[in-house]
Amino acid sequence: MIPLNSSNPCLSNTHFLKVPIFDPFFKFKTFSFNTHIPSNGHHALSFRINSKLKSSQDIQKNKGNNGVSQKIILSEVSPPPLTEVDGDINGGTGNENENVPLKSKNKGSVSGLARMLSKRTLQILSNLPLAIGEMFTIAALMALGTFIDQGEAPDHYFQQYPEDRPVLGFFTWRWVLALGFDHMYSSPVFLGMLALLGASLMACTYTTQIPLVKVSRRWSFLHSAEAIRKQEFSESLPRASIQDVGTILMGAGYEVFLKGPCLYAFQGLAGRLAPIGVHIALLLIMAGGTLSAVGSFKGSVTVPQGLNFVAGDVLSPTGFLSSPTEDFNTEVHVNRFYMDYYDSGEVSQFHTDLSLLDIDGKEVMRKTISVNDPLRYGSITIYQTDWSISALQILKNNEGPYNLAMAPLQINGDKKLYGTFVPVGDINSPDVKGISMLARDLQSIVIYDTEGKFAGVRRPNSKLPININGIEIVIVDAIGSSGLDLKTDPGVPIVYAGFGALMLTTCISYLSHSQIWALQDGTTVIIGGKTNRAKMEFPEEMNHLLDKVPEIIQPSLSQQADCISG
Amino acid sequence: MIFSTLEHILTHISFSVVSIVISIHLITLLVNEIVGLYDSSEKGMIITFFCITGLLVTRWIFSSHLPFSDLYESLIFLSWGFSIFHMLPCLQNHLSTIIAPSVLFTQGFATSGLLTKIHQSTILVPALQSHWLMMHVSMMILSYAALLCGSLLSVAILVITVREVIQIVGKSNNLYFLNELFSFAEIKYINLNERNNVLQKTSFFSYRNYYKSQFIQQLDRWGYRIISLGFIFLTIGILSGAVWANEAWGSYWNWDPKETWAFITWTIFAIYLHTRKKKKLEGVNSSMVASMGFFIIWICYFGINLLGIGLHSYGSFISN
Repeated sequence: MIPLNSSNPCLSNTHFLKVPIFDPFFKFKTFSFNTHIPSNGHHALSFRINSKLKSSQDIQKNKGNNGVSQKIILSEVSPPPLTEVDGDINGGTGNENENVPLKSKNKGSVSGLARMLSKRTLQILSNLPLAIGEMFTIAALMALGTFIDQGEAPDHYFQQYPEDRPVLGFFTWRWVLALGFDHMYSSPVFLGMLALLGASLMACTYTTQIPLVKVSRRWSFLHSAEAIRKQEFSESLPRASIQDVGTILMGAGYEVFLKGPCLYAFQGLAGRLAPIGVHIALLLIMAGGTLSAVGSFKGSVTVPQGLNFVAGDVLSPTGFLSSPTEDFNTEVHVNRFYMDYYDSGEVSQFHTDLSLLDIDGKEVMRKTISVNDPLRYGSITIYQTDWSISALQILKNNEGPYNLAMAPLQINGDKKLYGTFVPVGDINSPDVKGISMLARDLQSIVIYDTEGKFAGVRRPNSKLPININGIEIVIVDAIGSSGLDLKTDPGVPIVYAGFGALMLTTCISYLSHSQIWALQDGTTVIIGGKTNRAKMEFPEEMNHLLDKVPEIIQPSLSQQADCISG
Repeated sequence: MIFSTLEHILTHISFSVVSIVISIHLITLLVNEIVGLYDSSEKGMIITFFCITGLLVTRWIFSSHLPFSDLYESLIFLSWGFSIFHMLPCLQNHLSTIIAPSVLFTQGFATSGLLTKIHQSTILVPALQSHWLMMHVSMMILSYAALLCGSLLSVAILVITVREVIQIVGKSNNLYFLNELFSFAEIKYINLNERNNVLQKTSFFSYRNYYKSQFIQQLDRWGYRIISLGFIFLTIGILSGAVWANEAWGSYWNWDPKETWAFITWTIFAIYLHTRKKKKLEGVNSSMVASMGFFIIWICYFGINLLGIGLHSYGSFISN
């Protein structure tokens, strides 16, 4: 289209056409026009001056072209600085740019070199193919992370990826361990790629997206019919007035600017600006994630009902920024642990009644937590994550109650099994016999006699005795213990802010930014337009709108318009 | 009992209606368009939509929780999503031909013998008892549906353009056919990088090819639109999942395989959206990325469940 650089991938080409003033922004000439300006490390400064110089030139040029200042109607919005651009102005500015480096080469200094380097880095980082490559690499690494078992001992990898039978002919445990793929998501390779992607995001936002805002905030008229006809959508309406077109576009929700015979209208500018928000939100999430990784505390504990622990004892820091707060002195007391059951006997929910006691032993908070309903106190969050059975309380021949510790026999998944044993007869004999009791949950206990035969099922609290080998046993209670996870995470607010921003900006990004230009040419109105996303719907919508434009019978109105413009 | 009978009737009606619709589509594709037939296929899809909606509502009432708790229900919901997206660009009759079979396949798969075990609606495990279930799962499955539709359109572009390459090669001189096959394909590939180029080139060949290029452009743009929509759903789905995970598991991101694959899917479609930014990469390259996304969604949706690893074990084939 025009002598454009290819280094600004995020930028749509067409904007250059209209606003060449910002050309130097995107050109990334290795030397700036104004190298003699004292360097303060702020690249934008020299750019801005550069562009200012040029814009004044342009304005002069345009003044020559257009002469009288023209009024804007149909718009109550105070417009941003006007840029009026002819279609062919680009060539001129291009030439000027060619001359710039020659002039400044003589003054090349250390600061210029540093600036050049940083500019080059920015240029490389904001390169779209590079960013795409980074995303592909990250995706591939993540995929690999799901195929390689994570967090196992080295022995596991020796067996899984032996040297004599390498996977795909080259992949052995040496690769896994050297690159840290046994803990993929915290390996230097992966984190490095993420950091690089973050840098690319920042570079792209800084070098292409933010300038794009400045470009988009201006609105520009097209003065030549050819330029309008070159647009993706173009149409000419005979015997129509541009004012009518403007009114109809306004009715359809467009921002309309009208000046003499020229019209510019746009809609959905937010859709063009929202991707910046997406990038910033992603950076926010990355920052929050980093803070979470280096500044949080984590810990888990299994507490039998009725016991307590101090939060600080359980929590252990995850990174160098983790610093304990005074909430860590809080003592947590498990008042009660219980489960809800469905009619079919399956567990529907776990509950733990917790009391928080401050350092003086005063209760500061009490809450019954369950899965999906954690307790938050200060910076600490307590989650219900696990459970087990700690003890069985029984009466043996009306003596007791005795507390029998329950041992976990099977703990995989949700199907847990706990067991305990009441010895019968001589405890010191080599083959001691006894009554076994097994439990899958706190609801029912299965009892087996000394021979190992099934004897019966009892519910705790039922007070129904069972008689086995002459011993009468009453199960008084089954005491569960609650598995709690404790966490402090300073990154959560930042990450959540990022989440919210990301959801919002992705939705807004769906909006299509449509631009329409029109020109009154005699009695004919030439209309052209383009849009960046809804390319299928746009022509239909336009045709629908243009159908509404009334046909003018007497040509006096448009002649008037011509007089004004002339 | 009455619910399961009702369910059966509804599944069978929707399944058979979809199969009829697809055969109508095929007929209209092969034979010249018969307007009456086409109308009836549209009506058929609407019937299917209502059947699947009825099915979901029945299950909802029956199990008294939202029907997203296992694979079967999520598949039904997926085909519901497909039928919505089928009706969305209903003006473009050829595009819906591509989407309609996916309704059939998901439905067929869901109701096939493979999954009979989990037809009974199950209870919700404690971790699923949350208001986030509705938001997270519905968004995820809607996004799967949208992204699958969009990437199917991209796959179609690839299929059509590949055929075009072969056609052009076939038209070239037979003597040089073998010699030039490779070099020509290469040149063609370079040209394909710029779709506009292709459009100009192909319009030379015949009148028919002009329509074909129009069709490709339509596919491309609709694909982009639908994928962007799916991307929004996916973003909301993943993020609501993260917020839920922070409530239930104690961390908003656990690198659980399902999570990771959802993130991979997100990354791939982010790449797709970025390739659209650059004219040079638009067209075939972006459709290749989208077709890659097509397979990755299936890995994310089924593959991880097949492996039965991670915290998202509720959707696995084998009930543990």
